[in-house]
Amino acid sequence: MEKYRDYTAVDFLNDESFLKWLTNPGQTENDFWHDFIQKHPYKKAEIKEATVVFKLFHSNEEKLDLNETYELWTRIQREAKVSTRTVFLKFMKYAAILLLVFLSGGVTYYFIQHPEKPYYFELAETVPPAGKEARIILADGSEVSLEKQISEISYSTNGRQLIVNNDTINQQSGTQKEQINKVIIPYGKKSMIVLSDGTKVWLNAGSQLIYPSVFVNKTRQVMLIGEAYFDVAKNPDKPFIVRASDMYVHVVGTRFDISAYPEDKMIQTVLEEGKVNLTYSGKGILKEEYVVEMVPNQKFELDISTGQAKSQMVDVSKYVSWKDGMLEFDKVDLIRALKQVERYYNIRIRLANPMIGLYKLSGKLDLKDEPEEVLNVIKLTVPIDWQKKSNGDFVILGK
Amino acid sequence: MHTVENKSDERLLWTRFLKGDNQVLSLIYLQHSNSLFDYGCRFTNDKDLVKDCIQEVFCSLMRTRHNLSETDNIRLYLLKSLKRKIISELKKHNSQTRILTDQDYPFDLHWSENMDEQLNDLDEEKRQLLTDAMQSLTERQKEAIYLRFNRGLEYEEISFLLNLNYQSSRALIHRAIEKLRQIIHVPNKKINQYLFCILHKRSEPVFEHEN
Repeated sequence: MEKYRDYTAVDFLNDESFLKWLTNPGQTENDFWHDFIQKHPYKKAEIKEATVVFKLFHSNEEKLDLNETYELWTRIQREAKVSTRTVFLKFMKYAAILLLVFLSGGVTYYFIQHPEKPYYFELAETVPPAGKEARIILADGSEVSLEKQISEISYSTNGRQLIVNNDTINQQSGTQKEQINKVIIPYGKKSMIVLSDGTKVWLNAGSQLIYPSVFVNKTRQVMLIGEAYFDVAKNPDKPFIVRASDMYVHVVGTRFDISAYPEDKMIQTVLEEGKVNLTYSGKGILKEEYVVEMVPNQKFELDISTGQAKSQMVDVSKYVSWKDGMLEFDKVDLIRALKQVERYYNIRIRLANPMIGLYKLSGKLDLKDEPEEVLNVIKLTVPIDWQKKSNGDFVILGK
Repeated sequence: MHTVENKSDERLLWTRFLKGDNQVLSLIYLQHSNSLFDYGCRFTNDKDLVKDCIQEVFCSLMRTRHNLSETDNIRLYLLKSLKRKIISELKKHNSQTRILTDQDYPFDLHWSENMDEQLNDLDEEKRQLLTDAMQSLTERQKEAIYLRFNRGLEYEEISFLLNLNYQSSRALIHRAIEKLRQIIHVPNKKINQYLFCILHKRSEPVFEHEN
């Protein structure tokens, strides 16, 4: 702090820490400079002057809206796929020649390749930042951390104000474009968000939701990684669309749950009430699009790697009970149930023997308890035992 | 968002990408797409061209991954690639209007939104001086100022993007700051205060401890 005592406005503008405070302040910068101004009131004039010059030089920014961001990313992905395919074809040409050579020598040669696999990624952090803070990233890039275990976020109808756990935050919305906000919830946390149109979203542990602060386009679009339960506000003029990995969910006004954790390699949608259309693209060369109309109490599952889809009627409450701190299972593979427990408590559970994972589990788990208690409850229904390792990991043993 | 912690995050992402993890590229894309788009739009009004160039930058990033090193600064690498791409595209298409070279290309630096309106409250002479000062900036000076005050880059990073040495890029910005400061910093304290107030109305509560 000493060196700043003789600083002029120009010196301040040359200083990296000062500039960071003006462009992209974090907690450190805010604390430091507020403290500095308080302790050195005679520097106020110089700092003000530096700030004025900064404001004159700082110009408005062009931003991509949610649609453009997604569109551009899709183009990049597509282009990347095409280029790997040409590389693969070139490779095949030489391979074919080699194969001929080998065949003429009477030798057969095998090789396996996966031309489709290499470039697949999603428009978000596919690996949720475990152990990190839950946070909202606002349109201007600034971050607000959500300190609570279960956070509540709500937007005013004009999107300019949001209330986070009772604190009010203002954000600018000067332009016509959609201002993209993003909520990141790590493992072990949850959040409830009320969007500017009144739609309620319960975001489960290890999930991310990307959405505009106000819906200005013809459709209301959000993007989901992980699991969320939606209670969509009715608005027939502006359909609500959820994009999740390989699938779009087109909604008119309804309550449903989507689970699309990247590590699960499958997307599951359960409709509680109302009407939704699912659009997903099949695998294979043609990549044709399929549309499925869902009815209440229907569950639809899409296997991302094979493109296979199946649907059945279910008891919806079992799939949406997580938002109330409960997990309900009805003949679910133990491995899937444990995966949900892992996410909820942000712990690691390993199986001593992979076969254990195939036990079917039914029943209710109250997630307000400690993970140990939850495992003890599971122990009552399937023949397993568990141990806690010194590093905090749990190991499930067969009996 | 470039705290020390985020810088190490960024490094981690980059390392993972270089090791062949394509999943993190989407994160790199999300982090940088808006700054790249804005930077690109400073060179041309053709937004589709900017998007095409961003697409090309990310595609070539995947192709040339094996030539990149872990010590690279992603943000700088992306900004530089985008700039190079856009200028070469502009050279191809706009050659009839203006001859572009690698050191001579237009760069747009405009007042912030509502700035015109706010400056209207100011006395005529002062406003004219400020407008003149802004207009007298060279294109390279504008770019340096943009990189410093919008992108928040360090002088070394700016020199890299402008192909200048550290001293020259620092001097470019310094001269521009001095010019504006002299106009604002007049004996007439009242105007100074007033200007400060109107410019500060819209901003975050930076001086909340002030009485």
